[in-house]
Amino acid sequence: MNTITSYAHIKHNQVSVNGSIVFQSGPLLKLSEFLSEAYKSIGLSYPKFHKMDAQCKLGFLCAEFALKETTFLTENDLSKTAIILSNAASSLETDRVHQHSINDKSNYFPSPAVFVYTLPNITIGEIAIKHKVTGENAFFVSGQLDTELLVNYIETLLSNGSEAALVGWVEVDGASFEAFIFLVESSKNINKNSIFKALNQSSVITIYNQTKWTH
Amino acid sequence: MSQKIYITGLGMISAIGNNVPESFLSLSQSKTGIGKINHLTTRYKDEFLAGEIKLSNSDLADLVKDNNPALNRNSYIAMLAAKEAVINSGIDTNDGLRTGVISSTTVAGMGKTELYYKELFEKDDHLDVLDTHDCGDSTERIADYLGNVDYVTTISTACSSAANAIMLGCRMIKHGQLDRVVVGGVDALSKFTFNGFNTLMILDREWCKPFDENRKGLNLGEGAAFVVLEGENALNLRKGKPLAEVAGYANANDAYHQTASSPEGYGATLAIKQALTMSGLKTDQIDYINMHGTGTPNNDLSESMATVAVFGKQVPKFSSTKAFTGHTLAAAASIEAVISVLSLQNSMIFPNLNFTTPIADMNLIPETKLVNTPLNIILSNSFGFGGNCSSLLFKKA
Repeated sequence: MNTITSYAHIKHNQVSVNGSIVFQSGPLLKLSEFLSEAYKSIGLSYPKFHKMDAQCKLGFLCAEFALKETTFLTENDLSKTAIILSNAASSLETDRVHQHSINDKSNYFPSPAVFVYTLPNITIGEIAIKHKVTGENAFFVSGQLDTELLVNYIETLLSNGSEAALVGWVEVDGASFEAFIFLVESSKNINKNSIFKALNQSSVITIYNQTKWTH
Repeated sequence: MSQKIYITGLGMISAIGNNVPESFLSLSQSKTGIGKINHLTTRYKDEFLAGEIKLSNSDLADLVKDNNPALNRNSYIAMLAAKEAVINSGIDTNDGLRTGVISSTTVAGMGKTELYYKELFEKDDHLDVLDTHDCGDSTERIADYLGNVDYVTTISTACSSAANAIMLGCRMIKHGQLDRVVVGGVDALSKFTFNGFNTLMILDREWCKPFDENRKGLNLGEGAAFVVLEGENALNLRKGKPLAEVAGYANANDAYHQTASSPEGYGATLAIKQALTMSGLKTDQIDYINMHGTGTPNNDLSESMATVAVFGKQVPKFSSTKAFTGHTLAAAASIEAVISVLSLQNSMIFPNLNFTTPIADMNLIPETKLVNTPLNIILSNSFGFGGNCSSLLFKKA
């Protein structure tokens, strides 16, 4: 059956995994500083991380937290693992940076390292590259987390050859940011002792609302 | 067994024509739409060529018969192409069946936002421009323009976006969520895009030369193209005529680099193979490949490698039509879907312009002249930044 086997949620300078807060920084820390602290907390050495824009860092970290402590990457065929993400602002935050760089004739310096990140699905690419996930991927731009769209889409994928998926929402717009990624596996079953949940709209809404943020 | 999905209407506007008949004329006369920049205000006006639509924004406003100042170039061209597809199909969105609009775009309203960007920091005179900035805006405008639409969504996966819109449309019909969907993509040119691609140093200053040993990069283009997808149930109900069938599709991630394809074309190979598997077709049944073929050194080599990995020594006839339209980014896959259906309908392979010398070691030679030959199955590839690779299979109806 299609089972949600792990999930991570990043918001208000805190990271929660499966509903429990596992990392937090001061509430006043800027996004860039928070991301850097959160990165350090997982003890990963991945130099490419430092080249990413804020949205990719956020999505990348959220995936790392969701995957940590799971057997997801070893027990699923990564060529049949999908990555489906969404948000409302597309790549607006980095679009602004690129726009600034070409706006002023006297201070004109567009950079390839910035332009690369002016597409929302680059976040998917970063996760795919890190874990060698080569299954189907799509990025939806919706006004808000559209659980109906995402759940329908994943169910369709899993009935058409895909076996697992990383799914969610990754958004950075100015100072406001949020990432929520859950893992779905078709090979797993729910049992009494696990945090596993059957995939449906209400379970996604439940896990989305589960974390009790402390600030 | 899920129902078959048919393409029943085509709509397209790009550098080679303002509608499908004009586009067909340019294609069959081997007439490129890429030339000197006339409409976009950019410092690169005299430095680069582009595939511009040959109409100003006020010409476009006249064509859509809407002077709403909230509309921008992206919306105008999306509305025109989507409307053409709907009229061409003969569907009536008021007949009680469920109609969706799935569109894709990467630049959205940027072309207009960037004109007012500086001013917006100083005064509030043009705040309304921001309402049209979002990726979802042009999709909503299409839905309003067509009327009576039950479902709207927007996809943004770089240059494979429209292929993914087509895939989602097929799936929603197969799963009984919609009866028919207007699917496609749109990207108007903007300074934002030009500057960005220029920093990546993948723009050719001359006409692009897909699959040529001496290719230097791509020419940017702009356009919108939409097709009407109908399930066979809805089509039979109204006794409509199919133009082509969507026989297979697949998407995979190259998982290699953000802006470069893997040297061996791994993601592309996966996408093509999986689309073939889904369709049940064998490699020798593919009559023609409409390649992604952007003209960049990296894409064309990687796509050639993938083609050989799938087809071995029996590579079907192929060409890239990017040298006609320029690379239209989020619209590319739907423009090439329209071109593929025109190929099937007219038994014509449109040439790969500007090719002279095959890529060393690959020795793949595209069709360089118009070919008149019966075509039954066409493979169309689209690959995007972020490693997003999609392949679609179209079958003669």
